[in-house]
Amino acid sequence: MRKLLTRLRRSFSARLSLWVVLFAALVFLSALSYSSLAGRRSVKEEAILTATQVLENTSLRLSHILEGVQTSADNLEWLVYRHLDEPELMMDYSRSTVQSNPFLNGCSISFEPDYFKGHHYYSAYSGYVGDVLRTEQEGDDDYQYFYLGWYQLPKLLGQPCWTEPYNDWEQDDTVDRQTQMQVSYCKPLTDAEGTFIGAISLDISLQWLSETLSSVKPYPNAFCMLISRGGSYLVHPDAERLFYSTIFTDGLVTPNPELDGLGRAMQDLSEGYRIVDVHGSRSYVFFMPLKTTGWSLGIVCPVRDIFSGFNRLRQISLLLILLGLLLMFVVCFRVIGHAVKPLSDLAVQAEVIASGHFDTALPESTRPDEIGVLSRSFGHMQDSLVSYMDELTRTTAERAQIEGELKIARNIQMGMVPRTFPPFPDREDIDLYASMTPARDVGGDLYDYFIQGGKLYFCIGDVSGKGIPASLFMAVACNLFRVMGKRELPPVEIAHEINDILSEGNEQLMFVTMFIGAIDLQTGEMDFCNCGHNPPVLLGPDGPRFLDCKPNTSIGIFSGWTFEGEHLSGLPGTPLFLYTDGLNEAENLRQEQFGNDRLLAVLSDPYEGAEATIRRMHAAVSRHVGEAEASDDLTMLCVEIKKKEA
Amino acid sequence: MKRFLTALFAAVTAVLSLSAGAQDKFVLSTQASASAQFAGYYVAQEKGFYQEEGLSVELVHPYVTQAVADVILKDSQQAAILPLSLAMRLVDSGLPLVNILQTSMNSATVIISRWGADPMTLRGAKVATSRAGFGQSARSYAELEHLNYQWIPTASAVDLFISGAVEATLGRSYDEYYRILQTGLVRSETAVYRFENGPYNIQQEGVYVTRSYQQSHPDAVERFARASRAGWEWAAAHPEETLDIVMRYVKLHRIETNRTLQQLMLAEVLRLQMDPDSGQRAFRLRPDMVDKANDLMQGTGLLKRRVTFEELMP
Repeated sequence: MRKLLTRLRRSFSARLSLWVVLFAALVFLSALSYSSLAGRRSVKEEAILTATQVLENTSLRLSHILEGVQTSADNLEWLVYRHLDEPELMMDYSRSTVQSNPFLNGCSISFEPDYFKGHHYYSAYSGYVGDVLRTEQEGDDDYQYFYLGWYQLPKLLGQPCWTEPYNDWEQDDTVDRQTQMQVSYCKPLTDAEGTFIGAISLDISLQWLSETLSSVKPYPNAFCMLISRGGSYLVHPDAERLFYSTIFTDGLVTPNPELDGLGRAMQDLSEGYRIVDVHGSRSYVFFMPLKTTGWSLGIVCPVRDIFSGFNRLRQISLLLILLGLLLMFVVCFRVIGHAVKPLSDLAVQAEVIASGHFDTALPESTRPDEIGVLSRSFGHMQDSLVSYMDELTRTTAERAQIEGELKIARNIQMGMVPRTFPPFPDREDIDLYASMTPARDVGGDLYDYFIQGGKLYFCIGDVSGKGIPASLFMAVACNLFRVMGKRELPPVEIAHEINDILSEGNEQLMFVTMFIGAIDLQTGEMDFCNCGHNPPVLLGPDGPRFLDCKPNTSIGIFSGWTFEGEHLSGLPGTPLFLYTDGLNEAENLRQEQFGNDRLLAVLSDPYEGAEATIRRMHAAVSRHVGEAEASDDLTMLCVEIKKKEA
Repeated sequence: MKRFLTALFAAVTAVLSLSAGAQDKFVLSTQASASAQFAGYYVAQEKGFYQEEGLSVELVHPYVTQAVADVILKDSQQAAILPLSLAMRLVDSGLPLVNILQTSMNSATVIISRWGADPMTLRGAKVATSRAGFGQSARSYAELEHLNYQWIPTASAVDLFISGAVEATLGRSYDEYYRILQTGLVRSETAVYRFENGPYNIQQEGVYVTRSYQQSHPDAVERFARASRAGWEWAAAHPEETLDIVMRYVKLHRIETNRTLQQLMLAEVLRLQMDPDSGQRAFRLRPDMVDKANDLMQGTGLLKRRVTFEELMP
């Protein structure tokens, strides 16, 4: 998934195609939803129309059967009344009635106990047992018919009626009980005074009725049901429910208000339809009453059946839309990919150019659109880039040459200061060490020392500015110091001479701070002149301290300036540490200077020689500066004239 | 009525004495068609409780149009399931019967009105009554209350009720009540009068034998009662399996019913077996209920004399 999203993010054509497809999907699905709603409504209306027609046709068919039974009862009643004095004829009448009406399963003509002389029981009955029509007088002590509903109902009601379903079997019957389930149309028989004398009963097999109506199926899983006045299923496809259950039975244990409501509506002989769960299936139930019987006919149509065709069509539509969208994505991807291919080619070529092949030929584009413009613009950019790279190559070469020259200049500059330590291997009384670290290739710091006329001449200086100008100024100052020192001039004179020479024609107003010293190696006395330079540090037995110096100006600024020289005695045994401002003004990344305090702190450590002191100071300042870039040249010089042994 | 009692007397005497010689065969006549009302006996039969007691028991169900007395006339049953009030009337008529197992501890009798009115207000109404013989106390109570019901004896009480041919029907809370309830026609409990909640809550079904049979076969009678009681206790502990057994019996006897009705019937029959005072399944005849039945039926002339509790006990 992550890979797919990454690819989507990277592919413009895929992303654009996806947006197009998503928009199209939104449009298609909206249209499908609307058409689904409208279609569903239409299917529902069609279903109602169809089911209502089927229901009416079935009702007519059923009414025809029931009216046929009622007509048979009327005809039979007429015959019975004409021959009330001939009980044996009742057998023939009951038999012929069953034979003449294909809907009938049985017929009885029954009389009150002792109505006929010598007959306590008299019930002339004809009925089918299997395919055999049997006729008999069936009343006896075991079968006291006058306690049964089909006899008592017309007696008590005084009018014809239909019974609830009942099982008319005798204890010794071996016939399947379902085949014996029946309903009866009953009519009372009365004498001239209106006194009840008996009842005729015509039976319809419910099994036959159920089979007759089982073909009523407007939908594959639809079924017909007939509900009696007492809610019993007179017709139902489920043999377990048929006859033995009512529409309310399930609700006795698990309340089902919808089904109960349907049952009551059918029981109240209402007409219409309801949507209910019938035996676990959501269904439309269309129902109407059967007049004269008190029964209600219903057709149960599962919702999934009614809408199955519609749902299938909707699923196919959805599938087609999905396939269409997929196809659209592929086509969009290809078309957009083809459209932006010059961009891809351009990107590839840009990669090649970026790898250094600046003269790689770009694909020609004659397209007038934005991509064509972009392609041509890229070509112009490539031409400019080639020119730029040529210029860059040339300047880089020049720079390399300059750097080479600077390197030579650095070597020359470094060669101008003595770098051999110990500087005076044959003089054990002199311990001297110095270091110079330019901030750039060449620097403006200087130092020098030599012995001339029994004196150790030394100096340290810092030219204003940096780089080549400063290094040239330093070279001149350095040479002048050596020339003047060789003439054994005292430091203050050296300062005068150098100042006069450097300040003459100094249009750039460059200057150099210098500390110039000359130590008499015999006496240990030191003459010195500080020309605007940082005061050196004396590492005496009481700890380091800055040397008090006259405030002279720097060399090279004012021609003819009078410098004041100074004298210091008692130097032997007291090392002198000289430095440029690249030490105490060295800054770290937080722009904190190394400062005099840290300088003195480092020098407070026990003195272990000139070289060790300078190396320790280097380490300390490096720690302080850290990753910060050196902003100034750093030069240090440490000298000790050792005490002569007594 | 006199004719009925005479016939019933002769029947019970003949049946219970004819069969006195059988040692291991024991025939029990139930009060009505096969149903969960007799679940305990089916269980005892199916689970072999009778066999364990060395008995071969046959359960006989009457046909719907047959009064229980008529059935007893024909076969050779040793025992019959009778309501207490009917048993007392038979004893009063001169047939010494003894109660060997009392299952019901409460009255199941109900009167249900067709159109929603309180049955106790339907003066002069046609009321259907079953041929199963459980309506003795109801008839007495109706007379005591001067309701002047026109009793319609029938084998199709529920059908008469549905069609409106009667305004009410006598029934039992575990049988006709649920059968009527599933017609959807009774929508309010105000249309139902339950004797269990009235002043004459008199226990009903028990198993009776003639005193002579009981005296000649005390061991068989005791074993039968013990196995039957075990059957009922097992049924109470295993209602679903019991229901399976009951459904096999009702199908065998081709009864128009369904599993839901039998489930409700079994639960109600088991509930009525709980003694109202102790809350336990007591299986005993209560002297106070015998007295109450005497008071009710003597007051309305259904009993000519008091039938004592001791007379009914072995």
